[in-house]
Amino acid sequence: MTDILIILFGTLMLYVFAASRIEAFIKTLSLQGLILFFLVVTDIRDMNWINSAFLVLETLVVKAIAIPWFLLRTIRRNEIGREVEPYISQFYSLMIASAIFIFAFVAAFWAARVEGDIKPLYFGVSISMIIASLFLIVTRKRIITHILCFMMLENGIFLLSLSVANEMPMLVNLGVLLDLFVAVFLLVIFFNKIQSLYDGSHIDVLTQLKD
Amino acid sequence: MLLLIVAAPVLLAIITLIKPHRVINDSALLVGAGIIALFSIGIWCGIFSPAGPRWLDNYFRLDAIGLLFLLIMAVVFLSAAIYSVYYHREQKTSPRRHSFYAASMLLFVAAMIGVILSNHLALLWVFIEATTLTSAVLINFEQKKSALEAAWKYIFICSVGIALAFVGIIILSMGAKSIGSLFFHDLYAGASQINPFWLKMSFAFILVGFGTKIGVAPIHAWLPDAHSEAPSPVSALLSGTLLNTAFLGLIRVQEILIQANLSSFSNSLIRFIGFLSLFISAVFMTNSKNYKRMLAYSSIENMGILFIGLTMGKTGLFAAMLHTGAHSFAKSALFLTSGNILHLTRSKEIAQVRGLLRREPLTGWLWIVAILVIAGLPPFPTFLSKFLLIKAFFESGMGWLVVPFFLFVLIVIFGMMRAAVSMVFADPDSHSHPTSPRLSFLAYLPQILLLVFLLSFGAAIPDKLVQLLSEAAKFLQ
Repeated sequence: MTDILIILFGTLMLYVFAASRIEAFIKTLSLQGLILFFLVVTDIRDMNWINSAFLVLETLVVKAIAIPWFLLRTIRRNEIGREVEPYISQFYSLMIASAIFIFAFVAAFWAARVEGDIKPLYFGVSISMIIASLFLIVTRKRIITHILCFMMLENGIFLLSLSVANEMPMLVNLGVLLDLFVAVFLLVIFFNKIQSLYDGSHIDVLTQLKD
Repeated sequence: MLLLIVAAPVLLAIITLIKPHRVINDSALLVGAGIIALFSIGIWCGIFSPAGPRWLDNYFRLDAIGLLFLLIMAVVFLSAAIYSVYYHREQKTSPRRHSFYAASMLLFVAAMIGVILSNHLALLWVFIEATTLTSAVLINFEQKKSALEAAWKYIFICSVGIALAFVGIIILSMGAKSIGSLFFHDLYAGASQINPFWLKMSFAFILVGFGTKIGVAPIHAWLPDAHSEAPSPVSALLSGTLLNTAFLGLIRVQEILIQANLSSFSNSLIRFIGFLSLFISAVFMTNSKNYKRMLAYSSIENMGILFIGLTMGKTGLFAAMLHTGAHSFAKSALFLTSGNILHLTRSKEIAQVRGLLRREPLTGWLWIVAILVIAGLPPFPTFLSKFLLIKAFFESGMGWLVVPFFLFVLIVIFGMMRAAVSMVFADPDSHSHPTSPRLSFLAYLPQILLLVFLLSFGAAIPDKLVQLLSEAAKFLQ
């Protein structure tokens, strides 16, 4: 069951590479949050109830509902054009995404052989997700997509942290969630300001400061 | 006492948000800075106990190195708070925005105190990310296009960088399964049980993540923009305290590698980044046209020096500790003075500022003296720290590193002095800026205090300070 969920999670990442509409991207993020929720639920026996309640809250309420809703509202309010507008074509994007997958899985299986006690599937998908989000940030023109890629990066990191049985103290979990929430909130506020000050929402407008 | 230091800025921030009034905002900043300064000095002199309440004891602790960074922060924050009073009068900020500024600054400081006191690796991460969030709104305080661009780059680059550091922390906890905790004391005690492969990998990630916050090359892209666009007291805080606190985080992680006998691996990475930062700042310093950006590149250079010091054994670390303090004080004085210059000339271009000494002698003197401090001239502690660092090169058998070190530092000093001399001594073109208004004494007071500190410490370092510095340097064994 867990394996199927993780494979689905990875496939969603490929879908992001192919998707050309921003709304599709946001809905994918929400789906990823939902999958993370199911992963937490299937794994719940080993945890104490405070931690599991917290993880359920974090994945279902924050990652699957609150943040995607907030982002969706932002793009609808700003009437942003629907295309993600990549710097490179969809085809090459997908090729590179596959290459990232291959690299991450080779690394994961190699690490599993060296180390033994890591789960290659968890590790491979989350590492490829992290690399892929960084790649997407670099190759997408729109500022709003950068925020979405940042969220995807956070999802990848969350998956990686799930693979560590080791529990973080509650205080730390709370802090991490608060940071993430405030970060997205601030990024969207800044995005709205950029929208109103500059015409156009491409990253190319931010080139005033240089040496 | 520890709880008070953490809680006071947060409480004051809430008060300023509830009652937006000019006097309350000013005094909240001053009182907050005063409390932190008073109690950190009190702890230093043994009047107060550094222990926190028992239930917090695992999470927050104050050791010698933390105390040193706390003291530095207290002084820099106090001077930024005094200057902020002047800044808001001069800008005629509305009370609401003023209270927003004061609250953000207090929360920013609270987050930095959290970084200094954290005894848990992931908690340290939480506070470092919190410093990013609270300071981003301060960078955008003047709400100009350029400030918005700087704030966006800052928050985005740092958040992504810090996210990578979190990957490093997760990897570390994979390798440290047998320890089962990320408290620093557990990690140090059980360092030899951590799997070296995972530890090395996690260090690489954490170095990139924290390095982004420290502002070392090649991940420094946000730093010149943010430092040059932020209001001057905020720039002073960013350069004088934020970079330091992130550096403290790296020192704490480096100790794990030292305990695990992997220091040769981490040292070579840190040293490489240190020299790269020196090189990058030397290249950009010589053709910088904006004096605030010039100061920002100088911060990158000094962070590079700290990185190099971190890898050079005991003497090197002592030099780095001394340099941290000296750089923070001098750079804060410079950034605050740059606020005066900006007020007088309304321009950040070096070419637009000429003949400061004739137009506004005190500002001119402050500028040139502070530049001499940062360049490392003999009566000042920066000279001593660089001298000790060179001694450390020879002690660790890497004397040849003196050559690139000298070369890069000389280029940086040349670039800064050339700009400063033309700004201070050249003849002013009288028609463009006919008269200069006299500034309020609050615009000079903090810099004078900082420079007096530096001069007196340079002339004769008090024994108590040497003791604190060497205790801090003992942190890495």
